[in-house]
Amino acid sequence: MVALARKTLIYEWRRFLPAMLAVGFAGLLQLLQIALVLGIFGSTSLYITGSSADVWVGYPGTQSVGSGRTIDADVESRILMDPAVLRVEPYIWDDGDWRGPAETGGVSVFVSGIDPSANGLMFSKALPADLRARLAEPDAVVVDRSALDQLGVDIGQTATINGHQVRVVGISSGLRALGGVNVLCSLDTARQLNDDPTDSGPTYLVAKLRNPAQAAAVAVRLRGSTAFGPYTTWSAKDFAKISVRYWLFDTGAGAGVLFLAGIVFLVGAVITSQTLIAAVNGSMREYATLNALGVGVGALRRVVLEQAFWVGALGLLGAGLLGIVLMLLARSQDVPVVLNVPAALGCIILVMGLAAVSGLAAMRSMRRADPATLLR
Amino acid sequence: MHPAATTEHAGTPALLAEGISKAFISGQQRTQVLDNLSLSLDAGELTLISGPSGCGKSTLLAILSGLQKVDSGHVRALGSELGQLDMRALERFRLQHTGFVFQGFNLFPALSAFEQVELPLNHMGLSRNEARRRAQQSLEEVGLAHRMRLRPSELSGGEKQRVAIARALAKEPELLFADEPTSALDAANGQMIIDILHRIARTHGTTVLCVSHDPRLVVHADRVLAMEDGRILSDRRPPAPTAPDQGIPS
Repeated sequence: MVALARKTLIYEWRRFLPAMLAVGFAGLLQLLQIALVLGIFGSTSLYITGSSADVWVGYPGTQSVGSGRTIDADVESRILMDPAVLRVEPYIWDDGDWRGPAETGGVSVFVSGIDPSANGLMFSKALPADLRARLAEPDAVVVDRSALDQLGVDIGQTATINGHQVRVVGISSGLRALGGVNVLCSLDTARQLNDDPTDSGPTYLVAKLRNPAQAAAVAVRLRGSTAFGPYTTWSAKDFAKISVRYWLFDTGAGAGVLFLAGIVFLVGAVITSQTLIAAVNGSMREYATLNALGVGVGALRRVVLEQAFWVGALGLLGAGLLGIVLMLLARSQDVPVVLNVPAALGCIILVMGLAAVSGLAAMRSMRRADPATLLR
Repeated sequence: MHPAATTEHAGTPALLAEGISKAFISGQQRTQVLDNLSLSLDAGELTLISGPSGCGKSTLLAILSGLQKVDSGHVRALGSELGQLDMRALERFRLQHTGFVFQGFNLFPALSAFEQVELPLNHMGLSRNEARRRAQQSLEEVGLAHRMRLRPSELSGGEKQRVAIARALAKEPELLFADEPTSALDAANGQMIIDILHRIARTHGTTVLCVSHDPRLVVHADRVLAMEDGRILSDRRPPAPTAPDQGIPS
């Protein structure tokens, strides 16, 4: 079989280049957008994904990690009674007003009070052991590298949170927050920083199970007791999802992203189909001649669809390569970008769908390949 | 290639048109292109339709080859009633039985001469080897054996038209239609194309129907139909059939 579609694509690549660029850039936009969204909104569940707790205990109806309310500290004993639970530790999440040594004005910070012991669960995946140990010192805090300028501090310097003095003992990375700055300290320090005396208990209790696979079942089992005041439980996975979903859909950000994705798809499809139609029109007389010789319209349409497929595949390849470069660049600049397999697959499907839609549009113009028009 | 006698059933014409009419309507204007025209063509002959532009000769070619439908009358090609075939069946009929040569050569810029010829054969259900054998043979027959790896941009006008003829010929059609095949070519190349078409009619027994106002073609045709205003004015057979293919044009 003579590979008409591919040979034409290679020989007349200039004619197909605009279509490939359109597909490629549409793909690149979708890819980076998804990576940014996952990176930015993924950071809202960093508290969960960066820790090794299997079950989270918090106030009922909590919509995201950042919107928790205190629960009774005695809930801890109820959780510990369950034989599946290996370890429980409190986690204090609090808002704070940061005043640094440099002229930064007030900065809104999210204070995370965690257990600084070596086997602590909170941020066990995000915080190096030596930094965690240093948090045990009174008034010690760790801040993220990306927020140093914003906070106007450097290591060893002091600042105040809610009027209490703190000292920066370490700088971490990958703890970037959305809408504020994460500041890590010990549970004791966090209690010092809290100026509301009614807020006495922890915001969350996090538990490690003997068998992490049972997280969902244990979370259900631990619910329902009201003897220690209101609380509920989630498996870490579920709570992370709730948190990300809250930011994606309840804040309107997700709708904006979806809207933008739709626009990119539409613009990409319009440009791609127009250039494909032009490329097909350029060979219309030849296609009409083949039809005169008895080659069916269906077979000719398959040629166009195959060309659209290759345009999509090559555009995707270009978008992929450029996307990897740009994402590495973003990472090196502490821009949160994350790409997982489902998101990458979604991107591929979107781009190939765009190519297919354009191919179908170009196929319609094939109706003009009427061989009778050659006899004029 | 099959011998000259394949389609020469006793007295049955290869192509028969009876009382065909065709009109085009643009806005309020109705133009009668073919007016109750009847025609019968025999296998193994090169028939030339000549006439001034707009006389309906291209429309007649389109109708006889199954590319266009008639308003009234009917066309019988190789025993099939073309008017009764739907689009798919017409495509199948053209695939099995017809070849076309157009004024513009209509070759794919990306394909070599060999691939241009092989491409339609792929769709005929031939084996890969058979398709290649036929492509090779047809290109040899039009004298392009040494040029068959070249793309259209590397071929002269005459060579391109010979590739187009080879593309039609490789299908081994019983009916070969040519629309102004020489009008884009110079004298020498035009002559060569005429010779090839004539030889195809003779050696393959193909019914060759050629539409042209090129006077050089007349002496080579077995039969010349002169058309005007949608009718056939004269139907004659030139007295001196040019025996060898190296005939001198008038």
